[in-house]
Amino acid sequence: MQFQKKRCVAMLLAGGQGSRLMVLTENTAKPAVPFGGKYRIIDFPLSNCVNSKIDTVGILTQYQPLELNEYIGNGQPWGLNSSHGGVQVLPPYAKSKNSEWYKGTANAIYQNIGFIQRYNPDNVLILSGDHIYKMDYAAMLKFHESMDSDCTIAVRDVPLKEASRFGIMNTREDGSIYEFEEKPKVPKSTNASMGIYIFKWSVLKEFLEADEADPTSENDFGKNIIPALLSSGHRLFAYQFDGYWKDVGTISSLWEANMDLLGKHPAFDIYGPEGHKIYARNATKPASYIAKSAELHESFVADGCEIYGMIEHSVISTGCTVGKGAEVIDSVIMPDVVIENGASIRNAIIAEGCVIRAGAKIGGDVENGERRISVIGKEKEISEGTVIEPGAIV
Amino acid sequence: MEAMGIIFSNIYDSKMGNLTWERTSGSIPFGGRYRQIDFVLSNMSNSGIRNIGIITKYNYQSLMDHLANCEDWDLHLGENVRFLPPYATGHTGAYRGKLEALQTALPVLERSDAEYVILSDTTVLCAIDFAEVVDAHVASGCDLTVVAKAGRADGRRTQTLALKVDDSGKVVDLAVDYCAPKDYLSGMSMFVIERKKLLNIIQELVPHGKCYFERDFVLPQYNEGKLSVNVYSFQNIALFNESLQEFYENNLKLLDQDVRHSLFRTNLPIYTKVRDSVPTLFGEHGQASDCLVADGCHIFGNANHSVIFREVDLDEDTQVESSVLMQGSKVGARSQLRYVILDKNVTVKPDTRLQGTPEHPLYISKGVTV
Repeated sequence: MQFQKKRCVAMLLAGGQGSRLMVLTENTAKPAVPFGGKYRIIDFPLSNCVNSKIDTVGILTQYQPLELNEYIGNGQPWGLNSSHGGVQVLPPYAKSKNSEWYKGTANAIYQNIGFIQRYNPDNVLILSGDHIYKMDYAAMLKFHESMDSDCTIAVRDVPLKEASRFGIMNTREDGSIYEFEEKPKVPKSTNASMGIYIFKWSVLKEFLEADEADPTSENDFGKNIIPALLSSGHRLFAYQFDGYWKDVGTISSLWEANMDLLGKHPAFDIYGPEGHKIYARNATKPASYIAKSAELHESFVADGCEIYGMIEHSVISTGCTVGKGAEVIDSVIMPDVVIENGASIRNAIIAEGCVIRAGAKIGGDVENGERRISVIGKEKEISEGTVIEPGAIV
Repeated sequence: MEAMGIIFSNIYDSKMGNLTWERTSGSIPFGGRYRQIDFVLSNMSNSGIRNIGIITKYNYQSLMDHLANCEDWDLHLGENVRFLPPYATGHTGAYRGKLEALQTALPVLERSDAEYVILSDTTVLCAIDFAEVVDAHVASGCDLTVVAKAGRADGRRTQTLALKVDDSGKVVDLAVDYCAPKDYLSGMSMFVIERKKLLNIIQELVPHGKCYFERDFVLPQYNEGKLSVNVYSFQNIALFNESLQEFYENNLKLLDQDVRHSLFRTNLPIYTKVRDSVPTLFGEHGQASDCLVADGCHIFGNANHSVIFREVDLDEDTQVESSVLMQGSKVGARSQLRYVILDKNVTVKPDTRLQGTPEHPLYISKGVTV
């Protein structure tokens, strides 16, 4: 089927196994990992798309797609349930000749050329499913079109000493890219790629097909497609972004990004600005009850909680119970966790549906300037009085 | 058993004071994040009712905004939910009864192939399985089933419909607008009746100037022995919001865990409009104690024994006590509120003191700055 031509279609790479998030992604695709009390990581790029008036999004996934599929559903919570576009989860499927997993980021898009072609778009926006940020892709698209760019890459300024951890774009004065260096030992600039690309679809299609034909290619955007475009003299531009952005691919960065929501002037202001709301599939829960015995400081509390204990500098997600005399400090509590009376949780991430029995002790304080995050995986039960050491992964 | 639903969104408007100045009683906010209609509409949705008419008379803009396309209740406006506004402007003036209001539902009732109709107001809040009520109605063989609650009648408060049953459950007395003694049950303004029978009643009684369902139909026909009445005695918590005072008290009743757990059941969830608010932020010195707090709030001050709706801001050093603060209220620094109801989007300036009494909470109208 062929639809009316679209200006831009978004493709969200959600396929990574997320092994650095360990137990949190044992049965959950990384983009479906809960964040910020009531969200999942994927709500951020999806909401950015909607707020940027991009109404067609393909989600490329191959690990644990069930939960992600259920969460996305028909896309209604994001307003992406239109019959002309909307959101679609695209797992690899068996074709008549061969069936294969997504070999790399570029190959994932290559395998879905058919999906994109249905909309015959002018441009394709490539997104990553493990970043927390608010961004107006429409402004980036406008820049891309005004520069008559073949490929525009969103970059952010990073401290020089950290630049060697990123893909660095070296640009001329007009923003055009003349060189791309993946994790350079001696960085020439501090423009780090955010893994967000806008391609002219005609150009991308041609390069995806060439890349697929090359048996030596790793089929990766950063390693293969971008260098190939550069060496063939195409127009590549860097698009500067200076808002909050965080890759939440590790336990500590996921914890930090949650903590960035707290305080009167938070590092990441999830409330504003107007027109940049983050949408999520909302749980059907009443307002939270805060008991007489409860105490809350610098914390985020979602709906459907019953709080009888002490919460300090923590994120408490939808549907959690914190018993009397329990304390939760510097921690991220994911949805539907029960923390019984007198339990103590410090510097920890507790995944969905866990039960922490009375008096259990998880994690500890920062010692010698080192914060070691303890992690309890989904639906685990920690029995009464158990002690889980700082930094332990259960 | 196939049943359709009819919801009256405007009943009791006149008793609710300024709460219904610009809204129907169905769209009165309740319990931190709900509107009254959420309860009956969720109950019908959860009970598998897929043909629902909502009778409106006036002021129904806010109700339509709230329900939008009804997707948040797992229903679809136009497909299985219909708004039934009055035919013409001939019915304006003082509100008249449900029987007359049902005239606007005649075409829907005629077209339906449902065997039974569930009639309900929006003012009694509970989690109820209507499928069970319909089954009980069918099993009883009676003409009309009244859902009723024991324990509310106290000899002082007027009950719209009071019923006395004997040990076998048979109705032995039935009265309308009656200060019933304790041994009477109070009708919850929820009824089940055969659709064809209801059609006959409307077509017979309304042209004869009868417009009140309880007074002009149930009472006389029961007295004349023409109507057999079955009582479905509801066992869980039901909150009757029939006056501003009761509305205030019932909001605060949600601070009781038993009331909350009876009203918000996982098997009969109460849906509401999704607003995509951010979770509530508690500041360093923000403190809530014995409070219901919805999402999207900024709590930098103190609240005690109160219900705080979505997107309310309490600035530093505020003291809020035994109050109901509706969506979007802002309370300025150092202000003190006791026994107060703030309607939506009220702004309280810094250093302001507002005080009502437990019997007469101070009500501040929607959008006002004080």
